[in-house]
Amino acid sequence: MSQLLHNYQYAAAMLLFCIGLYTVIVRRNIIKKLIGLNIMETAVFFLYISLGYLNDGIAPIRVGGADPSRMVNPIPQALILTGIVVAVSVTALALALVILLYRQFGTLDVDRLFRDEDEAEAEAKAGAEKEGAA
Amino acid sequence: MKRIVALVSMMALLALLLYVVASMPTMGDAGNPTNASEITKYYLENAEEETFTVNVITGIILNYRGYDTSGEVTVIFCALAAVLAVLGREKRGKIYAFADRSRVPSSVIVRTMVAFLVPFIILFSIYTIMHGELSPGGGFQGGAIIGASMIIFTTIFGLFESSQRIPQKIRFPLEGSAFLTFFIVGVLGLLGGGNFLTFAWPNISANLQPAVALWLTIFLEIGIGLGGAMVFISILFSMIREEEDVTAAA
Repeated sequence: MSQLLHNYQYAAAMLLFCIGLYTVIVRRNIIKKLIGLNIMETAVFFLYISLGYLNDGIAPIRVGGADPSRMVNPIPQALILTGIVVAVSVTALALALVILLYRQFGTLDVDRLFRDEDEAEAEAKAGAEKEGAA
Repeated sequence: MKRIVALVSMMALLALLLYVVASMPTMGDAGNPTNASEITKYYLENAEEETFTVNVITGIILNYRGYDTSGEVTVIFCALAAVLAVLGREKRGKIYAFADRSRVPSSVIVRTMVAFLVPFIILFSIYTIMHGELSPGGGFQGGAIIGASMIIFTTIFGLFESSQRIPQKIRFPLEGSAFLTFFIVGVLGLLGGGNFLTFAWPNISANLQPAVALWLTIFLEIGIGLGGAMVFISILFSMIREEEDVTAAA
C-alpha cells in the first residue's frame, strides 16, 4: 500500500486511462469518444515519462559540465515524442472521417448512425397501428 | 444500465491496474530497471561525443534513432495524404469557410491582440526549431507551435485571410520537406563514406566532423519543422474548408 503512495504518478496515469476508456465506452457523440481516446493516449505518455524520472534529476542536456549520472532517463522522452506525433496523426485522420460522416448523415450520435432505417420505420408503423387499435 | 456496467468494469480495471502499480519499483529510484539499464548509461555518457549535440534527446531522435524518426515523419505525411483523400484539397485560390461568412465580426480587441501576438509566436517557434540541439525543443515542437499560431489566426481572421498568407503554392512543395531532408542527409552520409544517415563522415578530416554533424542536425531540424508546420496547416485548412457548392447555394 505504501508503494502505491510512492508511485502516485503511476496511479494517476492508471486513473486517467480508466477515465478515457469510460468516456470512449459511455459517450454517444463520436467527438467525445475521440476526446476519450486522446485522454487514454495522454495517460500512456504520462506513465512512460514518469518511468524515466530520477529523484533530484536534471534535464539530459550536457551543458556546463552537468553530471550524466544525475540526468533523467532520455529514452522514454525520445520514444514519447514519436508517440505524440503518431497520436496527432491518428487524431487528424479520425477527425477527417468524422467530418465526412457528419456531412453524409447529419449526426454524430453513434446510436443513430448504426440504426437500421428500415427497422426503425417498421417499428414506427407498428407503434402507430397499436395506437390506432387502442 | 450501460453506464453502470461500464462504471463497474472500469472500477475493476482500475483496481487491477493499481494492484500492478503497488508492486512496481519505487518511482525516481536510481536502481530502477529503466534507469539502471546499460543503454541509458551509454546514451548519457557518450551522446555528446558521438552525435556532437549537447541535448541528449535530440541526439537520440535524429542520430541514434534516425531511421525511426524518418519513419515517424512519413507517418505524419501519410496522415496528411489520408486527410486530403477523405476531404479533398481546395482548388487554387478558391477557399471558403463558414467562419468567413459570419455576420458578427470578431471584436477589435481580439483582432488587435492576435495580430500583435502571432509574429512573436512564430518567432518563438523559430527559436524552438533552431535551438533544438542546445535546449529543449526541436523540429516537431516548433512545427506544432507554427500550426497552433495559424489556428489562432484562422479562427479570428477567417480562412480566406490566412490562406492568402500561406497560399497553396507555398504549402504544396514544402509538405514533403521533412522526409526529403532525411533522404538528402542519408545520401550525403553515403557519399561521405559512411552508412545511410551517418552524420560524422569518415572521408573528411576528424576536426571537421563535429561541425558537419552539427550543421546536418540543424538542417534536419529545419526540414522537420517546416514540413511538420506545413502538414499541420494543410490539415487545418482542409478540415475548416467547406465545399464550394455549399457557398453557391447559400
